[in-house]
Amino acid sequence: MKGSWVATIRGYVWVKLIGGEPEVFLNAATREQVPLWNISFSPAGQLTFGVSVPDFFRLRPLLRGCGSRTRIISRHGLPFRMARLSRRKTFAGGMLAFVLALFLLSTFVWDVRIEGNTAIPEEKILQAAREEGVYTFQWSFRLQDAASLSQRLALRLPEAAWIGVDKRGTSISITVIDSTKPEKTALEGPRHLVAKTDAVITRIIAENGRPKVERNDRVRKGDILISGVLGDERNNKTVISKGKVMGLVWHEYRIESPLVTKSKNLTGVTQDRSYLIIGNRALQISGYGEPSYEISQTRTTVHRAQLWKRLLPFGTMKEHELEVVELEKVRTPAEAKLAGLEQARSEMLAKAGKDAVIKAEKILHEHTENGKVLLTVLFEVEQSIAIERPIG
Amino acid sequence: MMRVSRKLRKWTATILDLPQDVVLDLPRITMIGGLQVTVENHRGILHFSPDVLRLAMDNGIMEVTGQDLVIRNIGAEEVFVEGKIMGVQLHAKGKPSS
Repeated sequence: MKGSWVATIRGYVWVKLIGGEPEVFLNAATREQVPLWNISFSPAGQLTFGVSVPDFFRLRPLLRGCGSRTRIISRHGLPFRMARLSRRKTFAGGMLAFVLALFLLSTFVWDVRIEGNTAIPEEKILQAAREEGVYTFQWSFRLQDAASLSQRLALRLPEAAWIGVDKRGTSISITVIDSTKPEKTALEGPRHLVAKTDAVITRIIAENGRPKVERNDRVRKGDILISGVLGDERNNKTVISKGKVMGLVWHEYRIESPLVTKSKNLTGVTQDRSYLIIGNRALQISGYGEPSYEISQTRTTVHRAQLWKRLLPFGTMKEHELEVVELEKVRTPAEAKLAGLEQARSEMLAKAGKDAVIKAEKILHEHTENGKVLLTVLFEVEQSIAIERPIG
Repeated sequence: MMRVSRKLRKWTATILDLPQDVVLDLPRITMIGGLQVTVENHRGILHFSPDVLRLAMDNGIMEVTGQDLVIRNIGAEEVFVEGKIMGVQLHAKGKPSS
């Protein structure tokens, strides 16, 4: 059995020799150089041996020479197995079909991936790729080569600076690199800058256009501050006027400030209750018998049981009740006035824009009535007063 | 003529310190315990049974005795025998064994 796998591929048989002289046969076989192996005697006294299939047919003339016959005991090896397989047609067909299916499936594109950090939406890239024939379940051999594919994709996606297509087995990765573009500026038409309110100009800086007013000029609402029209009546040109115009603006403010304020405070006394939730009903489990507070805040947390990503209709709920007291604070009229003014100032600045500054304030009227301090205040605020008005 | 060439070969083997089997075409017997025997340079099988294997040699007969003898492999030059080997005997030419 030299090189048993060789013997397995060629196929071998166990043979029994019947009749004749075994010695004569063996010598003849050795002379003819027919390799035999495991030559032994069966209990019945017959010579048995193994011989490969092609050699078995070479034995025939020798057997005739020494007057013996052979009987095959068993067959082994690939040729016999193939013969048996060829009888089981469905099985062989299945094997073939499997190999065929594996081959066919490996010719599909199974995965199209997009790589690279890009602002182009993935759908758009996939759409472009689809138009070039790159999509899942596409036959691989219908694709063009990667270089021309990436070129064609680049034509379809002008926003990308570079596109690479890489096919690895059944997956295709498309790498997209964005080109950087200058930021888009909003479209603007020719315009004037006009006054938002009545004001006294404190500063005027014209970046574009022609300033129509000067410092310390008094302007009314709607007056042109920076004109967008250049030139005289005959030769003129409209431009987008730009600039910054600051002016003093007067605001009259009425303030009401109460003398008594109420605030809610937590006392620090709490109690907990827990519930079991089934469906939309809650069953209280603990926290019985405690008195409820006169004023309270309740914080509720619900834990629903979860099975992976599905919420189940069971869970627990916890209530944390905090006792609250209302505190009353009585202020003197002076305190109330200060608080009211402070609030008015912050409201004022919020309304006038971010670069507004309060230059002066004057209390015009003040009197206390019905537990409230009533104030009328005049604020002098320096703020931006320019507003755009398009030229017809 | 034959004798002269034999003598010459023997002389060469002695002078050159070569192993005798290489030059003289003598059987070379390798035995591993009582389990395996390899005989090289045999001249054919004279008798084979589970108990006795008799091989022809250039100048005599070689006899392997034992139980359950199996010829694992046989070639033109070489025999490889396995089994429970009990004895190996060499009989010179003209003195056949019992």
